[in-house]
Amino acid sequence: MTSGDAIGGMQAGLLSCHCCGLLSRPAAPAHPGQCPRCGERLEWRREHAIQRTWAFLIAAAILYVPANLLPVLTTNTLVSSQSDTIMSGIVFLYATGSWPLALIVLVASVMIPLGKIVALAFVLVSVQRRSAVNNRQRTRLYRTVEFIGRWSMLDVFVDTFVVALVQLSPLMAVDPGPGVVYFMGVVVLTMFAAQAFDPRLIWDAAASRKADRGV
Amino acid sequence: MASDPVIDDLPQAAVVPATRARFSAVWIIPVLAALVALGIAAQRILSEGPTITIIFKSADGIEAGKTFVKYKEVNIGQVTAVRLTDDLGRVEVTAKIAKSAAALMVDDAQFWVVRPRISLSGISGLSTLLSGDYIGFEAGASTTKARQFVGIEVPPIITGGAPGTQFRLSAGDLGSLGIGSPVYFRRLLVGQVIAYDLAPDGKSVVLRIFVNAPYDRYVTTNSRFWNASGVDISLTANGLDVRTQSLVSLLEGGIAFESPPQATAEMPAAADAAFTLHGDRANAMKQDESIATHYVLYFAETVRGLSVGAPVTFFGVPVGEVTDVGLTMNPATLDARPRVGIVVFPERVMASLPPAEEAKYRAAVQVSATRHALVRRMVEQRGLRAQLMTGSLVTGQRFVSLGYFPKAAKARLDWNVQVPELPTVISTLPEMEAKLSSIIGKLERVPLDAIGNDLKKTLGTLDQTLKDAGAVLNNFDAEVVPALKATLDDARGALGSAEKMLTSTEANIVGASAPGQLELRSAMSELARAARSLRVLADYLERHPEALIRGKTAEPPPR
Repeated sequence: MTSGDAIGGMQAGLLSCHCCGLLSRPAAPAHPGQCPRCGERLEWRREHAIQRTWAFLIAAAILYVPANLLPVLTTNTLVSSQSDTIMSGIVFLYATGSWPLALIVLVASVMIPLGKIVALAFVLVSVQRRSAVNNRQRTRLYRTVEFIGRWSMLDVFVDTFVVALVQLSPLMAVDPGPGVVYFMGVVVLTMFAAQAFDPRLIWDAAASRKADRGV
Repeated sequence: MASDPVIDDLPQAAVVPATRARFSAVWIIPVLAALVALGIAAQRILSEGPTITIIFKSADGIEAGKTFVKYKEVNIGQVTAVRLTDDLGRVEVTAKIAKSAAALMVDDAQFWVVRPRISLSGISGLSTLLSGDYIGFEAGASTTKARQFVGIEVPPIITGGAPGTQFRLSAGDLGSLGIGSPVYFRRLLVGQVIAYDLAPDGKSVVLRIFVNAPYDRYVTTNSRFWNASGVDISLTANGLDVRTQSLVSLLEGGIAFESPPQATAEMPAAADAAFTLHGDRANAMKQDESIATHYVLYFAETVRGLSVGAPVTFFGVPVGEVTDVGLTMNPATLDARPRVGIVVFPERVMASLPPAEEAKYRAAVQVSATRHALVRRMVEQRGLRAQLMTGSLVTGQRFVSLGYFPKAAKARLDWNVQVPELPTVISTLPEMEAKLSSIIGKLERVPLDAIGNDLKKTLGTLDQTLKDAGAVLNNFDAEVVPALKATLDDARGALGSAEKMLTSTEANIVGASAPGQLELRSAMSELARAARSLRVLADYLERHPEALIRGKTAEPPPR
């Protein structure tokens, strides 16, 4: 018996509380009501999960543009002032021979946020298309996205550390650029998006197809 | 399903009225994000200045992303790309200009590359040593916007809006001057050379100088500029003259200006007024002589030590200078004479007069007929003559002195020839005259009267002495003469005895057989031998002088 064959709570007319996990019968199928134990509002699935995830995802994607275009760091030395975006920082690191560092920054700051957005978008589209294949893989993808989200803040941490430490005015000073705020927005919004999604939706498609087949 | 007892036992959820909107409020977030992003984009686009291209001959020192465009030392843009022009002959520099400076990008704006310039008078562009070269910018006056520019290779004249005035100087050559060379007024640094260029005809150099306010008002219409480069050492009949402005100008050169002390009615010079840059101060301070009278002098003596430029003095006051030193030849007699051309500036004579007199005579001198008559009277009636004088005994430099010699032979001044001849006197004559007169003066001081009185006294004494002598002689006759006779008789006796003695002497000493004679002969032959050996010794020493030190060495047998 595969997991796809299991009877979901929705099919059984039951729902579990998101907060305390209490399995209960809904007050009415359309309006499940509140959890009798903890008082949490009961939902068959996370309310507007797809819509909310899309909203966060789109907001993250929009902010991803200024996050990468605006400078994240401005280095002021005695004679010059240089603003670096994330990408120019990576290029600089790579050009000066620190390719492992460049790779880390590239992965943590460019690929992961972008990957998260693409992965979530893919999951959402597949759910909306009621795709029933590779359910496990898609669930794993979602879990990975949710887990990995927090690590994208690495760049923001580095940025704030550098800004706090390198204040040797007037010889050298590092100021945060506006890009870092947008980058932080991207990270936070993708985390929200991952949270807003309900992975059970992945399985619902499979269940409904099975129902369509008249099982 | 509902009949399942387990499920039936589960508690029933409470009913909540449906208030859910069709669309989640969460969509506000992407809308906000989009608005922010659009805001950024709009702000970026609005703050975007123009992108301009500048064509340079070379991109030396220009780097994309690192070279800034600066106006008054403020960054107004940054080079974003450097590439070759399509014809591959030049370099096209693309620069992004700040929005705030967009209005400055007009078609006569100027761009050039600023590189560090280190000179003795100072260092400029020091910051370029650290930050690299940058592109300098100077706003134009036009209102036509432009995006394509051609960079200039030589920085333009930048006064940076500093108050002051520009002037033009024309000079024979640049000397050691350059851009930034200091301009001094009374040894105070008041400006600098901002540009120089060859005059269009290539015959002179035109320098542009900038004199800072408030010193620019000391540049008057009468101001004289001269090249204060290095040390100005001149050895003239006036002696050794060393002039320098400052150590910097000594090393690097510079320009100094001043108004001649006799200049009157000083008016500040207009901006861009043209002046002549003189070679040295002496030249510069010479007055503008409106009247210059040339004369030719023929000397009957050597003109060695007289050089062109040597002063012509009138009672010691410089009134002109020597313009020409040469010879003149009379073809009929093959008689060569030194010829000296001089120029006399009557106004210098005027300038040396007290102001009241000067005003009186200056007008008279302006008219050439009056002037000619005046000079003729001086020559023909008062005996004005030119004479060579030695200015410095050390250097032997000579100059021409004009003075009155009333006793000189009569001469005429002919104004009808082109260059009138001024009569001369030989320079040694007055010297001899002076010496003679000093001798006469000394003779005059001799007290002849006193000497005469003394002589008379002495003669009286002599008379008395002679009388005394007569008395003495009389006395002599009476007393001494008889005694003298007796003495003479005695003497005759003595002589007889002496004769006898000499006869015996001849027999004993001088005679041929006298023993003294024999002894003398042997002594003489001894002496001859001694002389011979002495000669041998001398000969030997002559051949072997070392024998004096080393002794006689064994002589090798003669071959």
